[in-house]
Amino acid sequence: MLETRGLTKYFKGLRAISNFDLNVGHGEIVGIIGPNGAGKTTIFNLITGFLKPTSGDIIFEGKDITNQKPHVIAERGIVRTFQLDRIFHDFTVLQNLVAASHLFAKIGFWEATFSTSRYRRKDANARAHAMEILNFLELDDRKDEIAQNLSHGHQKMLGIAIAMATNPKLLLLDEPLAGMNPAEVVKALDIIDKIRSRGTSILLIEHNMQAVMSICDWIVVLNFGVEIARGTCEECQCNQEVIKAYLGAGGYAA
Amino acid sequence: MRLGKNLGFALLIILIFVVPIFIKNQYYLHVLILCAINIILASSLRAITTTGQISLGHAGFMSIGAYTSAILAMKLGLSTYAALVLGGVAAMVVAAIIAYPVTRVRTVYFAMLTLFLGEVIRLVMTEGRAITAGTSGLMNIPHLDNISFLGLFSINFATKLPNLYFILVLMLITLLFLYSIDRSYIGITFKAVSQDDSLAASTGINVARFKAMIFYTGCFFAGLAGSFYAHYMSVLTPDSFGLFYSIYILIYVIVGGQGRFSGAIIGALILTLIPEIFRVLKEYQPYIFVVVLYLVVFLLPGGLVDLPGLIRRKLQRGRA
Repeated sequence: MLETRGLTKYFKGLRAISNFDLNVGHGEIVGIIGPNGAGKTTIFNLITGFLKPTSGDIIFEGKDITNQKPHVIAERGIVRTFQLDRIFHDFTVLQNLVAASHLFAKIGFWEATFSTSRYRRKDANARAHAMEILNFLELDDRKDEIAQNLSHGHQKMLGIAIAMATNPKLLLLDEPLAGMNPAEVVKALDIIDKIRSRGTSILLIEHNMQAVMSICDWIVVLNFGVEIARGTCEECQCNQEVIKAYLGAGGYAA
Repeated sequence: MRLGKNLGFALLIILIFVVPIFIKNQYYLHVLILCAINIILASSLRAITTTGQISLGHAGFMSIGAYTSAILAMKLGLSTYAALVLGGVAAMVVAAIIAYPVTRVRTVYFAMLTLFLGEVIRLVMTEGRAITAGTSGLMNIPHLDNISFLGLFSINFATKLPNLYFILVLMLITLLFLYSIDRSYIGITFKAVSQDDSLAASTGINVARFKAMIFYTGCFFAGLAGSFYAHYMSVLTPDSFGLFYSIYILIYVIVGGQGRFSGAIIGALILTLIPEIFRVLKEYQPYIFVVVLYLVVFLLPGGLVDLPGLIRRKLQRGRA
């Protein structure tokens, strides 16, 4: 459903990602791994329109979405989470989800201002939709808490919930497990799997290898903006290039 | 609770409309008119700030409304009420045109661009002598047309009291409109945009469109207030709406409290009344404003609307 061809991005001559090809199928969970600075988040920024590629194409469901604006790409069905806890901090958990249900709600300026019956129905639908997502991600018991008072783990889940509120076809998760304790990791993986069974495909950036191995259908390994391996987790694990990238080249390690 | 609140509001509105009848001092009526104008300006600016934008050119849009309305009524002989509305529309159209570039930049640059814009508007009014009469200003702008009810009686806007009632109605309509937006789904979207515009964009919100939308809506009401001002004062000079006025409007919003709808109203009311009460200190008005602003920013970051809550918390702590 998502295809990138020769995706390349230079920052003032510095290569961030080069000639990156990817093909994500329906219902797949694909992992992108690599050391810090390998260009993983850059790929997310390119796919979701936060950055414009230097060259290359991005095709989603047969349509070219290269150089589209982020909100247009979200409308098409690709939604991302952010590495840091990007949530609406001053809102309650429920308000976060209500605000993120914008695409679902489709409420216009005038009907909202004059509070027409159609608006009230749409508003109620949006709230019901928000509650449904909260139930699904097991955040419903925190719905009235102010988002910035949540624990780190819950804030991360809220970040995913915000993305899920848009009903994405493809979900891009940027280090969803970072900073979580082992129990939270287990729960989060369970939820990611549940999201997949809803029919949402997932592109995952994660440093927790055990988690990546357990959940991804296949992975791509990057180093300094270049793909060095691709395939199932087992294949990549034994790849010499990958071992070199993570542990350093020969010499000391051997 | 809900019923009590609504009842309280109804009583307040009745009070607002009954009290002026008993005010005989013309000067007091004038001050109340200024209060109502400033409440419209502060509330409409506050609406713009809910998307995280700070406009320093709000008085400029008031000026566009004032001049448009005055010129339409004087030179084209339009009904003053049509001119009044068209004044608001003119401010909105100018805001909509410049919204495209200015809503695509970050807060600081938005503030700078609107600041320059306000000054540019003032210069245009000063230099366009053929139409605006330059620095000498427009004189003898017609008062609002008489309103007659089935020939039974008619309202003449040459005196202050009818003008006060007119601006009070205009103020209530403005507040009702802005309040409806504020607590609606669209209001939530505005606040989401102000908290994190990248995150908002990633959920499919067209950030620039929403910022532009509330920007020109707010400017419409500023234009409307300006139009009324022109017909009420009958005299208009470019310096009626300078940079200082724009900054004052922003100070009303900050001192009252940006976070809540009532904040702008309270700020505008108190800061319009204070200089009038201490009229002997009129020339020190900027200093008074600065002192009040500092006190509020340091002691009450949420603005005056937070004062009751603060006192309640202090009392509870005292009891415990």
